[in-house]
Amino acid sequence: MNAIVLNVNGRSASCNVEQRDSLLEVLREHLDLTGTHVGCEHGACGACTVSMDGVAVRSCVVLAVMSDGRRIETIEGTRSDRVMNVIRRHFHEKHAVQCGFCTPGMLMMARDIICRHPEPSETLIREQLSGQICRCTGYANIVTAIRSAAEEMRQA
Amino acid sequence: MSHHDEPDGWIGRSLLRKEDNRHLLGASTFVGDIRMPGMQDIAFVRSGSAHARVVDIEKPAGLEQRVYTLADLGPIWSLDSGPEMASFRSVPYPPLASDRVRFVGQTVAACMAPTRAEAEDIAQQVVLNVNELPVVIDTVDSLKPGTGTLFDGWTDNAFVHATIAGGDIASVAGAPVQLRRQFKMNRQSVAPLETRGIVAWWDYRLDELVVYISNQGPHVLRHGLAQTLGLPEHKLRVIAPDVGGGFGSKNRLMPEDITVAAIAMKCGHPVRWIEDRREHLISGVQAREHYYDLTLYAERNGRILGLKGELFVDAGAYSLWPSGPFMESSMAARNLPGPYRIEHLHVETHTVATNKAPLGPYRGVARPGACFAIERAIDELAHELGMDPVELRRINLVRAVDMPFETIGGLSLDTGDYPVALEAVVEMLDIPAVRARQARGEKDGRRIGIGFAVYTEQSGHGTIEWTKRKSRVVPGYESATVRMLPDGTVHIAVGILNHGQGLETTLAQVAAHELGIDPSQISIRHGDTGTTPFGFGTFASRSMVFSGGAVAKASALLADKVRRIGAHLLQAPLKAVTISAGAAHAGRASVPIGEIARVANIRPEMLPPDVSPGLEATATYEPPDSGGVYSYGVHATVIAVDPETGVVELLQYAVAEDCGTMINPMIVDGQIMGGVAQGIGTALYEESRYDESGEPLATTFGDYVMPCAPEIPSFQIKHFVTSARNTLHGIKGMGEGGAIAPPAAIANALADAFRDIGAAFNETPLTPRRVSDAVARAQGDAA
Repeated sequence: MNAIVLNVNGRSASCNVEQRDSLLEVLREHLDLTGTHVGCEHGACGACTVSMDGVAVRSCVVLAVMSDGRRIETIEGTRSDRVMNVIRRHFHEKHAVQCGFCTPGMLMMARDIICRHPEPSETLIREQLSGQICRCTGYANIVTAIRSAAEEMRQA
Repeated sequence: MSHHDEPDGWIGRSLLRKEDNRHLLGASTFVGDIRMPGMQDIAFVRSGSAHARVVDIEKPAGLEQRVYTLADLGPIWSLDSGPEMASFRSVPYPPLASDRVRFVGQTVAACMAPTRAEAEDIAQQVVLNVNELPVVIDTVDSLKPGTGTLFDGWTDNAFVHATIAGGDIASVAGAPVQLRRQFKMNRQSVAPLETRGIVAWWDYRLDELVVYISNQGPHVLRHGLAQTLGLPEHKLRVIAPDVGGGFGSKNRLMPEDITVAAIAMKCGHPVRWIEDRREHLISGVQAREHYYDLTLYAERNGRILGLKGELFVDAGAYSLWPSGPFMESSMAARNLPGPYRIEHLHVETHTVATNKAPLGPYRGVARPGACFAIERAIDELAHELGMDPVELRRINLVRAVDMPFETIGGLSLDTGDYPVALEAVVEMLDIPAVRARQARGEKDGRRIGIGFAVYTEQSGHGTIEWTKRKSRVVPGYESATVRMLPDGTVHIAVGILNHGQGLETTLAQVAAHELGIDPSQISIRHGDTGTTPFGFGTFASRSMVFSGGAVAKASALLADKVRRIGAHLLQAPLKAVTISAGAAHAGRASVPIGEIARVANIRPEMLPPDVSPGLEATATYEPPDSGGVYSYGVHATVIAVDPETGVVELLQYAVAEDCGTMINPMIVDGQIMGGVAQGIGTALYEESRYDESGEPLATTFGDYVMPCAPEIPSFQIKHFVTSARNTLHGIKGMGEGGAIAPPAAIANALADAFRDIGAAFNETPLTPRRVSDAVARAQGDAA
């Protein structure tokens, strides 16, 4: 077992992990942060997307031991995040949610896209979402929500 | 059913969804999110052989107590599955294989440990000794004489052979035009983003087994699971919490469900199994895999006279409870004539067993294959006759004046104007302009193609249709219990299961319309056999018709009582009392519904003498004609395709559809777009391939290709509204339609793009390799 210390959503968290444990397992099974979802466990679907030192990563392909000392933000840590709350509202108003399973990962990626590209085109958003699978919506409303949220952020 | 004159406009309003908040906060509760003290994880040992006799299963020394084989589960009663037909060969599907394995991925043993990783460590040490048997993989070859059978005593590898016919096909044998083609829709996975999962424990306080499971129909699942476990149903509570998509695949009793529940009854602590993606791709419900050999008979003027053919549906190794695989074959055959005025049909169907994962339902069930076959055949016929494919459809489509129209496949199309929808997509895509662009050619060497496909979507079908299908479970009604609490807010318990369709919103809209209150005052409760009335769950585009009807009926009963109490409080005659905007009104006087609810629940002394206390009503509902109502539409797409690489880009995608009255148009559009995206996956990307030894080749999202945002276009959608005649508010179900037509429309666009060289696009998915191979073959033929 390896002792690691993470900063998760602004709080310090100490865990004993196996070398094979992923960051995703630590978040869900050790810290009970179940808003980060498990879709494929091989880095292909994006349901487990979290922020690591400010960069969106797939927590299923980040080893827990590699996260030692890092700053992690999960969907649970974004409740008072101004940008995320704007994105959330646009996801709601544009019907960008159906079953909701991809939603937390989608939101984490959406904020990452908007922070990097304040004026994203539809094509850019679609390309940037190429690692996020949504099985329900057909993506159109997610793309629209991200565009309109970005527009609101620019005006703010 | 509405008893008030001024409804508050909840029907037809794009109300934002009540269920979004928990998902947006990351605070939803899927099965994998449940935490129970002492819970342990299960990992399955699965067969690595496609077909073998099991010699023995060796448990690792010292860990015997942590490994469960079939004998360790206790008595398990096997259920007959599939239709109640003497000709259907029903075979047991054991929760854990003990004597024979019939596909790679079949469950053999279950290993338990405090974490999944440790359970997998144990599973790796279990040794499965087998004697390999010859495998049956190819769908059509499975019936070749001399092929070994999957099951002892079978004379061939068919679960059932059946003929679907109407009219007299022999009468058109001399038709001047006869066109024969073969079509294949390959096998695919359903792949909801949340995999399957189950958490189970014995609840000593209630003396019952509690099963949390990602599932679409907990009441029916309880019925099946209780029988297999030998538990009376009142000792089994099945709860489907938030469910991350199902699309049909989470509506069958699966071996893992039985195994985990049986272990929970023995081990004394909660147990959990969460399917991983590899397990889902090799042993979750797989779908499609149809092979058609069809002949169209037609006049030279384009009038189609008859359709004859043979259909093979590859059911995989077992029949899943309750419905089994024959529904896929019979529906495909009955849907082959589509919405066309064809008078003669003869289809021989073969539902065959192979050494692959069992086949189950997936959005559209059977119809994506049937639509692909008939719509491709129609385009081929148009080409043969030198006609525009749109014109050929105009000639043969059922017309508004023909309604109601019974197709030769026996489907009673009820209402609508199909030709108008066809003209709509022609206009939406500005087809003349696209043809001009096509003729000019693209600078980058790509080719432009245009494709059309017409579909129908049977929905809201009940007793008549399901008994016709010889179904073991007949989903002929839904139930709802409406309870008004002392402050006038409402709980409604329903038997369906919302898993992305927005039913917590739309059912509240339906109730709000009857009760005269705001939907925000109404909570919909579903998914728990312990708290909801019996129902069949959400599948087959049925929930809005059936559950919407039950909710409206129960709400109307309750509204009557609210009015009676209101009349008493207002000292007005009952007939003068209406309810709307949260109050009962008589002339200028009104009393808030909250006050009526307070009286009914906690101030019985204020009730009229002939009215009993409490405000609760339960109702069941089935539409008067239970053969079903038909949504329909036309899809059209413009593609650009690279002849060298075979890569297809969807430039435009148009849908003109009619699903009757829309309760919430925003949600209807969401269902259409999501369905079309899945249909695009079927058309271009998704395939569950097996090699000749039965090894599954698509075991990750690296080799099972899911469409992402760059692959899916934006959509143009146009609605027509022809209300159904006999459903509440004239609605029709519409959850599946989007997924039916895309493979046909896209393949037709490809055929159109390469019409000059006659390249054949008759097999899905049309991957870059299949497309470039088809082009190369056609060029070779032309050279």
